[in-house]
Amino acid sequence: MIELINIKKIFNMGRPNEFVAVDGVSLLIESHKITVFKGPSGSGKTTLLSLIGCMARPTSGRIMVSGNEITSLPERFLTEIRRKIFGFVFQQFHLIKGITVLENVMLPAYPLGEKYSALRKRAVSLLDLFNLSHKVSSKVEWLSGGETQRVSIARALVNDPSVVIADEPTAYLDTKLSREFLEIAERMKKEGKTILIASHDPLVYESDIVDRVVEMRDGKIISREKS
Amino acid sequence: MIVNPSIISLLLGSLFICSMLLYSAYYGIHILKRWDIRSGSELQLILERKTYLISTIMNYAFGFQLASLFLFIFTADHLHNLFIGAMCAAGTLNVNVYGYPAIIMKTVNCLLAGTWLIMNYTDNRAFDYPLIKKKYFLLLVITPLLGAELFLQSAYFSGLRAHVITSCCGSLFSIGEESITSDIASLSGLFTKVAFYLSMVLTFVSGMYFYKKRNTAGYAFAFMSTVTFVVSTSSLISFISPYFYELPTHHCPFCILQREYGYAGYALYITLLGGAISGLGVGAIMPFRDIQSLSKTVPGIQRKLTVTALISYFLFTGIVTYQIVFSNLTMKGY
Repeated sequence: MIELINIKKIFNMGRPNEFVAVDGVSLLIESHKITVFKGPSGSGKTTLLSLIGCMARPTSGRIMVSGNEITSLPERFLTEIRRKIFGFVFQQFHLIKGITVLENVMLPAYPLGEKYSALRKRAVSLLDLFNLSHKVSSKVEWLSGGETQRVSIARALVNDPSVVIADEPTAYLDTKLSREFLEIAERMKKEGKTILIASHDPLVYESDIVDRVVEMRDGKIISREKS
Repeated sequence: MIVNPSIISLLLGSLFICSMLLYSAYYGIHILKRWDIRSGSELQLILERKTYLISTIMNYAFGFQLASLFLFIFTADHLHNLFIGAMCAAGTLNVNVYGYPAIIMKTVNCLLAGTWLIMNYTDNRAFDYPLIKKKYFLLLVITPLLGAELFLQSAYFSGLRAHVITSCCGSLFSIGEESITSDIASLSGLFTKVAFYLSMVLTFVSGMYFYKKRNTAGYAFAFMSTVTFVVSTSSLISFISPYFYELPTHHCPFCILQREYGYAGYALYITLLGGAISGLGVGAIMPFRDIQSLSKTVPGIQRKLTVTALISYFLFTGIVTYQIVFSNLTMKGY
């Protein structure tokens, strides 16, 4: 369970270009469900997800993850949480060019100091799960759009996070690949993961696999639909 | 004032530390008044972020504070040939009335700064800022003392005039004068030797006992570490330094910083200060062992501090004992 209590995020506070990205959001997000945040560009979806994923701190308000307050945590504890609780799939995937698919997937697990052979085995089996075992040694710049997306999902899952955050994951994908992503998301949900997606793609927020759609505009929640 | 790179560094360093401390103290007052971890208010989140900044600033500032004590001693020793009658730091510090108060204040502030760094390190190991108010309260106590140090140091350095006639260790640390240092130098060598080795033995016994049992003996160890620091400092004047000079009437604690004595004074003072700060640190964080978020980390930190204190005092005792055994000076009846 993730609980947001009166979350506010203001950029450039006190300056002429002050911008309120998230404005007093309170929300309960259930575990093991798919929640989609929809809304136009600039509505605060990405900022809210980055706050939940401990990549930024709110200006005010508190966020509770499984009963533990995370917004007040010192940075080194946040790093631990980012590594163990959250997995991220970015809009532009952010894979690192020049290294192989396998190395990209293994990268987030390196700081945990796990035995290399065990980590490699896990990364290979993850890539196998996404039908990418034949691409293990390929450089990421050689991949197609769909393959890139699946590698980024495999990377998000390498530390076995309980929450997967995906920011506009279908923005650069065609309909076929977008449906493929939704199938993967459904599979992750069945495995017990909580999935948070920011998207303004109707294919995503109108999908049957989505449990809840939270609509945002101007940093505020304007509706909370449940399917 | 004598323009010298070390003096400029010390004054600028002290000024920098004081200004950083004033900045930190300003937020320290806000933290003491307004800190509420349960609140998600804008002010609370600002204070949480500020604590990271202040913690980083003070780590560097107090790190410099610890190093500056030795730079101060080095400077005082280095400048002695500018003053008539001065043969070591003892004479330089005696050029005006601010010299000795400045070095005493610097030593006290070093002990407090070391204790604060240990508290800060401990607080940063927990997720819920359990020592936040306590460490900022200590910071507010240290602030005026560092201000006093800046004043004394500035007054001392600005009052230095070349060719001033001054008294040096020959009279300041000799028996028969009316001063505290003379009284310490007059102490019976046998008595201070027994006190020195006894305090070291008790410190080691309490330290080893605490290391093994991990119980409230930490208080006893911290107390003994402090007592040992005082006894050892007195012993340096009373009986240790004569063994270095191989002259029973020379009790100066500063000449041993010079080249002809292998700069042994620096090793002695570093180990002594290291032992005192680490030992004090054990006691300083002792009351926080039962705090839930610290219960697993404090014992580990205390064990490291205990080992550091014991190694430091062991090295100090080793250097002193080596000198007593191998010195050409034999003090019969001591």
